Order: sequence, then C-alpha cells, then structure tokens
Amino acid sequence: MKNIWWKVLAVVIMTYVIFWGLLGPVPRQPILNESIRNVSFHVPLWFAMIILLVTSVIYSVRYLRKGRMDDDLIAVEFANTAILFGVLGCLTGAIWANFTWGDPWPNDPKLNSVAVGMLMYMAYLILRGSFDDEQRRARISAVYNIFVFAVFIPLIFILPRMTDSLHPGNGGNPAFGKYDMDNNLRMVLYPGVIGLTLIGVWITQLRVRLRRVKVAMDE
Amino acid sequence: MQRTPFFKSSLLALLLLSQQVMAQQPVTSGVEMADQLRADGKIWVVVAVIAAIFAGIVVYLIRLDRQIGKLEKEVNEKKSENSLRF
Amino acid sequence: MTESVRQMGALMRKEFLLEWRQRYALNGMLLYIVSAVFVCYLSFSARRGQLTPIVWNALFWIILLFTAINAIAKSFVQERAGRQLYYYTLASPQQIVLSKILYNTVLMLALAFLGFGVYAFVLGNPVKDVPLYLVALVLGAIGFSVSLTLVSGIASKAENPSTLMAVLSFPTILPLLLELLKISKNALDGLDRSVSWKEVGTVLAIDVIVLVLSLLLFPFLWRS
Repeated sequence: MKNIWWKVLAVVIMTYVIFWGLLGPVPRQPILNESIRNVSFHVPLWFAMIILLVTSVIYSVRYLRKGRMDDDLIAVEFANTAILFGVLGCLTGAIWANFTWGDPWPNDPKLNSVAVGMLMYMAYLILRGSFDDEQRRARISAVYNIFVFAVFIPLIFILPRMTDSLHPGNGGNPAFGKYDMDNNLRMVLYPGVIGLTLIGVWITQLRVRLRRVKVAMDE
Repeated sequence: MQRTPFFKSSLLALLLLSQQVMAQQPVTSGVEMADQLRADGKIWVVVAVIAAIFAGIVVYLIRLDRQIGKLEKEVNEKKSENSLRF
Repeated sequence: MTESVRQMGALMRKEFLLEWRQRYALNGMLLYIVSAVFVCYLSFSARRGQLTPIVWNALFWIILLFTAINAIAKSFVQERAGRQLYYYTLASPQQIVLSKILYNTVLMLALAFLGFGVYAFVLGNPVKDVPLYLVALVLGAIGFSVSLTLVSGIASKAENPSTLMAVLSFPTILPLLLELLKISKNALDGLDRSVSWKEVGTVLAIDVIVLVLSLLLFPFLWRS
C-alpha cells in the first residue's frame, strides 16, 4: 500500500462530512426542515459521478489515441464506479423526494434525464459484453463511451434548466446559493464532493488492480 | 495501522467543536426542526450508526486493498522468475 | 476540396443506386411505416379526431422512431465486409460517414413525410400550425439520421447487431426526441412561434454536436 495518503485523506474527509453533516448548523427551510441535511450526502454523489465519468471519457480518448489496453481497462472501471454512484444517487434521491415532494419518482426532468443517462451507461456495459475480440471491444466501446458522454452532458445540464423542475437551479428557480444554500452547508458539501470522489477513485483503483492481476495470470 | 492516533485526535476535535456549535444554533425563524432530538442528544445515536457503517466499509476496502497488493506481489515475483528462466 | 465533394457525390450516387436495385428493402420500409400507422389506428379503434393531441403526437413520434431505427440499422449491417474493405481503399472515412448521413437524411425525410400524410389521413389532423410541424419533422429526420448512423456503425461491429441497435439508440436519441415532442406539441396547439425557437435551437445544437462527433469518431470505427 504505497501512496496511501489520499486514501487517508478520503477517510478523514468523509468522516468529517458524516459528523458535520449531521451535527453542524443548517439553514432553516420550510417543507425541507431537517431533511436539508441530505444536501451533504445526496448531492455529492452526483458531483462525484460526473467527475468519475469525465475521467472515464479522458481514458477512452487516450485509448483511441495511443491504443494501450490498460487505458481501456481504466475507462471501464471508472464507468462502473460512476454507475454505482448514479444508482445510489437515484435511490437516495427517491427516499428524499418521497418525504419532501410526496412522491418517490415525481415527474421531474432532472430525474428522467438521469434515468436515461443510467440506461445509456447500462447499454455501454451490454455493448462491451457482446464482443469476443478484445482489441475490437476496446476500440468500439471507447467510441460509444465518448458519444454517450457528449449526449449525456446536455441531457443532464441543459435540458432540465429549460423546463420546470423541482430541483433548485432549474426552470427559472434560483440556483444553489440563492436561497437554500448557505456557507454552513457549503462547508460540508464541497468536502463531501472531494471525499466521495476520492472514495470512488479508490474503489476504481482496486478493481483496476484486480483486473491487471487477472490479465497477468492469464499470460 | 500507523495513522490511528492522527485519526482519533481529528475525530475528537470534531466532536468537541460540534458540541459547541450546536449550543449556539438559533431557534428564531419559527421553522420546525428536530431541536428536541438534538437537545436530548439522541442525534448521537444516528451519528454513531452511520459512522459504524462507514467504518465497516472502510475496513473492508482496506482489507481488499491489502489482498490485491499481495496478489500483485506474487504475480510480479512469478514474472521475474519466468524471465530469469528464459 | 472539389475533388472530395465529387467523391462524396459518387458515394451518394452509389447509395441510391444500391437502394434502387434492392427495391424490396425500400418498399419494405414504406410498407412498414404505413402498416405501423394502420395498426395503431386499429388498436386505438379511434375514429378520426378522437385521440387527445398529446396521445396523437406521442404516438406519431414513436412510430417514426421505430421506423427510423429499422431503416437506419441496415445502413451498415447490410454491407458485407469485402465491400467495406473496397470502400476503405477508395475514400476517407469522413466522406463515407457523411455520404451515409446524407443518404439516411433523405430516406428519413421521405419516410417522415409519407408517415405524416398517412397518419393525418387515417387518424385526422388536429395540427393547427402545419408549417412548424413540418419543420419539426425535418429537424427530426436530420437528427435521427445523424445520431442513428453512428450508432448503427457501432452496433454493426458487434455480435448481434439488431438487438444492440435498439438498446444503444433508444437512450441516446431520447434528448432529441423530447425536444422534438415539445416543438411538435407547440405546433399542434398553434402556439406563437416565438415559444418554440429555444427548442429549435437546442435540437440544432444537438444535431451539430452529434455530427461533429460522428466525423471525429467514425475513423476509429472504420479501421476495425
């Protein structure tokens, strides 16, 4: 376990987020009440997912440019972890929405976009499963990964902003920071983003190493 | 693990800090919050449960990390043996 | 520049010639959309003008989506490996993908207008702003052909292309479809056109993004 410092950092930051997110002061909002604390746990999942997806795309591009199988392996594992975070984000969001909006899956553009995004990445995994030749699988799934990412970003960031949404920051609602964010909450949210991203990178790194070992055993 | 003292002290500092801030939380705006829960100190039960879950996940990750590290070492040794032989 | 345009013209001509020679496939697509419309008409057993505008609109776009996936899926799947190798020596991948996209756009335009005609004929035509609806059709035809051409290229390399084509294309086409539904709903209700400009802009932007991506990524697909 060399280069352990960032793993320690991840654990320390996440511990801070868990404690401070539950105990620290939060703004008092009607309807949301105490559940506003979910901001420090639910929202970082999405930020971390986006960061992991960006990394995955970067590795896909690198694979296409340099053609090293290792890059493809890393790209898949980042996508896998991102999907895990996305599913967790959907679940936590559904629980939260059930209490504040009265419906686990309100017909909200952001939710629907994210569900479609999840479908896209599931399709990515299915696409990978349907090849026998490794080189070919790597190249074509890298192409699809880039394509899907380019469709996913407008889907999740631009389209929901243009229609009415329950989420803050969409459809004319003021964005974060205008009314239900304050500096206390930010002090937890941003570390949460960093911490969860690091945890995600850790999980990804473990899976990548496992795969490399497998590859080495096969040789 | 060598990092436990640091870990523990940072946790302690956090606990102390949070106690202080909780005492100062304003109750003016009239929006109902779980103030009673906090006053009773029952919130610590929730915190403890979640922290335990997180600790479990971290321990699991660390063990996995070590096991994979061992595997990597074995594979590397085998590789170098093979390259010597040929 | 003129050279590459001429090459593209030749490629386009070859696409049309091939299609014309295998007329059964083209006729099959035309029959597909007509019978799909008719099946919907019968299964709703709706007399003219009885569907609510929302259902009318959604149904039409779903029919069009399925037709598009079926029509465009064959653009790469049908071609044999030997012939692909032959193109490879003749033209650059960008030219090939552009000619395919252009050809598919023309095909989709024909299918969309025919479909709209038949659909309006059997199920009644509640559209209040027909020109805007036609604009939505044109935008949809371009968008479908651009994004589905790349997806079909991807799917054709895999083991069972037809299933994969559907799985890969449904989610990726959805943002486009949602915007198109919005535009065509506005046209259906006869809302003021200024309401729809934003959506038209978004659709165009998505089209451009996907087109640029196709040009960038297709060479990598082509090589394998």
